[in-house]
Amino acid sequence: MGMLGKLFYFKSNGNFKRSKKWEQELNKCIRCGYCYELCPLFKSNNWESDTPRGKLLLIYGMITGEIKPTQEIVEKIFQCFYCKNCSDNCSAGVPITDILTDARADLIEAGFEVEGTIVKIDEDLCSVCGICVPLCKYEALSIDEKDEDNKKIVVDKVECRGCGLCVAACPAGAITQKEGCEVTLPELHEKVKEFIKEDGKKLVVFACNWSMFPGMQLSESPTLVKTPYGIIVSMCSGRVAPELVLNAFDEGAWGVMVAGCPPEECDHDGNYKTRRRLVLLKNVLKELNIDPKRIRLEWFSTGESAKLERTIDDFVKELEKMGPIKKMNVSKVIGG
Amino acid sequence: MKIDIEKLKEIVGENNVSDDIADLYVYGSDASVHHALPTAVVRPKTIEEVQKIMRYANANKIPVVPRGAGSGTSGHTVPIDGGIILDMKQMNRILDIRPEDMLVKVEPGVVDDDLNRALKPLGLFYPPAPASSRIATIGGEIAANASGVRSVKYGATRDYVYGMKVVLANGDLVNLGSNTRVHSSGYQLERLIVGSEGTLGVVVEATMGIRPLPKYRCLAVANFDKLQGAGNAISDIISSGCEPSMLELMDKIGIIAVNKAMDLGLKEVGAIILFEADGNVKEAVDFEIEKMKKICKKHNGKDIKKSYDLAERTKLFSGRKKLFASLSQYKEGIICTDLADDMGVPNSKIAETAEKIHEIAKKNNVIMAVYGHCGSGVIHTKIMLDPKKKSQWKDAEHVIEELYDYIDSVGGVTSAEHGIGLSKAPAWKKARPDMIPVMRKVKQALDPNNILNPHKIMDAPDDWVKATNLRYKVG
Repeated sequence: MGMLGKLFYFKSNGNFKRSKKWEQELNKCIRCGYCYELCPLFKSNNWESDTPRGKLLLIYGMITGEIKPTQEIVEKIFQCFYCKNCSDNCSAGVPITDILTDARADLIEAGFEVEGTIVKIDEDLCSVCGICVPLCKYEALSIDEKDEDNKKIVVDKVECRGCGLCVAACPAGAITQKEGCEVTLPELHEKVKEFIKEDGKKLVVFACNWSMFPGMQLSESPTLVKTPYGIIVSMCSGRVAPELVLNAFDEGAWGVMVAGCPPEECDHDGNYKTRRRLVLLKNVLKELNIDPKRIRLEWFSTGESAKLERTIDDFVKELEKMGPIKKMNVSKVIGG
Repeated sequence: MKIDIEKLKEIVGENNVSDDIADLYVYGSDASVHHALPTAVVRPKTIEEVQKIMRYANANKIPVVPRGAGSGTSGHTVPIDGGIILDMKQMNRILDIRPEDMLVKVEPGVVDDDLNRALKPLGLFYPPAPASSRIATIGGEIAANASGVRSVKYGATRDYVYGMKVVLANGDLVNLGSNTRVHSSGYQLERLIVGSEGTLGVVVEATMGIRPLPKYRCLAVANFDKLQGAGNAISDIISSGCEPSMLELMDKIGIIAVNKAMDLGLKEVGAIILFEADGNVKEAVDFEIEKMKKICKKHNGKDIKKSYDLAERTKLFSGRKKLFASLSQYKEGIICTDLADDMGVPNSKIAETAEKIHEIAKKNNVIMAVYGHCGSGVIHTKIMLDPKKKSQWKDAEHVIEELYDYIDSVGGVTSAEHGIGLSKAPAWKKARPDMIPVMRKVKQALDPNNILNPHKIMDAPDDWVKATNLRYKVG
């Protein structure tokens, strides 16, 4: 086979040298489905192919040669936030995210271009300031200095966990993620709008997926049970950008709570950034004549659903005493 | 098979139809050993959409397989003839909670635990909860007549079905049953749909009974050196007129597996029994627990612990809750397959059946754990084997033949709560030949073109291994 032939073969089939070692582990998956109960990707898209067990099946199909990798399959494999709710809940002991990482490496090596939940850099907007580089705990971002006159930020697509910390931190707004997984700022803003439209919703809670999502399963009420709050899974609390909070007030929220992992427990060190960001934001609120007590940052460890419920109840009571924010008609600046 | 994808998109919208291999491949599988590709996946959101899809499929004789969480163990939703997978998870609204009538109205995609989360603040619950309640949908539970750990006191799904709306194969919508716990108004067709595994109609709304949450629950655990002692204790508890709200068995293989998977530190004895009593009067709950403790002691049960505390009870029960998946961790090189998974036997045969399972497994070079809701006669097991070896699938075939012959000989049933699907069909057909022509007549009357989940239960192939591709790479 010539070089071109090899390349073609590689792209159409891949050799899956890393993934193949997991065949026995993949056989262990009994497809009980407990992995997807807590999967944020499945919650937003609701296709079986978005479930962790679905992705494992696709990988199994590719390594056993039953199916060939297609662009659609590859996109599915690259959609994951690595919250590990799936592997933590897998009593068959399948190391789901490790398998996924190896499959990603194989597919990148096979030449696939992919978006998934990976961040992308708009080079026209990026000034290569480098703020994002040390921010990424997974070292997925680096500065490519090969061309002295044309430095750029590059993304390691295998290592990027899609946490979005860099998206919230980029001063130029040059880092984005594909829409469709309900984590981009416009999508989160849209969710806030939907919540506030509902009768009686006063409080918007941005909940970290890592610490709070599993606990939330125990406390979040589905349809029919009306609550004065709405919980939005924003992935890491570090990606709750200030404009998201201000938008919530602008849409009519009486208060905003950001629920993150306690210090030292955050997988991404995003909670420290949130803390600093919210201190600054409270000062901005004062300028806008909004009581800074309308924003709360609270820490929760995994499974602290009772604490979450208590804290939300307390905050709702306090907000009910404060009442709604009075809108200032002329300048559209919020006040109250 | 030719399916007009554009036509389906017109019905449910662009984003709710897929014929991409990424979707077809994963929807071709459930928790069973089977795999077969559908031609399209469709996700309806309304009753009208389901009706339109059925009208189109019926006119063109396209198979339609309704699907809930895809947690079925016997290949119920594996599309053996291709066709349309009807993913019902989008129809997941709780439509009405009526405490004054002690009922709920739900769409079929509502997840069991979600329903119970909504009911809990009202002091109510929906009892049939299978172990998979965290993902299992009400529609799927109706299709399989699911039951669970509390079935010993509260019964199975069929005991909670008051009424339902069903879309028939020709697209017609029928309203079955009532809003009352009992009715005597014509054929109990809503009960016919229960356990029909998607072969008679598509459930699009269900009216289900609910119960008040008991004020007290007390869970106890007893260790037994021998499996036989544990089995006899269970039979004795039931026949002595005790009223457990849970009575579960877990053998040594199960204990070792959950210890490995969850580091629970359980004593690796011959077997464990978990028994629970519930009620609104603490003395009465205590009375039941003490009565059951005495019986356990009579059968050499020891290290008996009990607790009313929710956290403690959750911990005691956690191993049982995750046992099924944990079995894949029992021994390196072998994995857990969903075969011979839910026999039902008369109460007096629990111990004998449990021992027989171990005996058959040993004879045929596989490992089988014995566990389950034995208080209601449900014995769970799984065949644990090396899926890559062809010979192990032969071993599994022998196990299944021997085991189900035995179950039939003691007056048991092939499936107590998971359904027949594909993998249990040969054994069930052998045991109940008299039912087959009657069931075919019912099927023919409701689905003359045989489009709803065809070739399942009575029409499934006689060789389960060759019924579809196995989802494991063998050889």
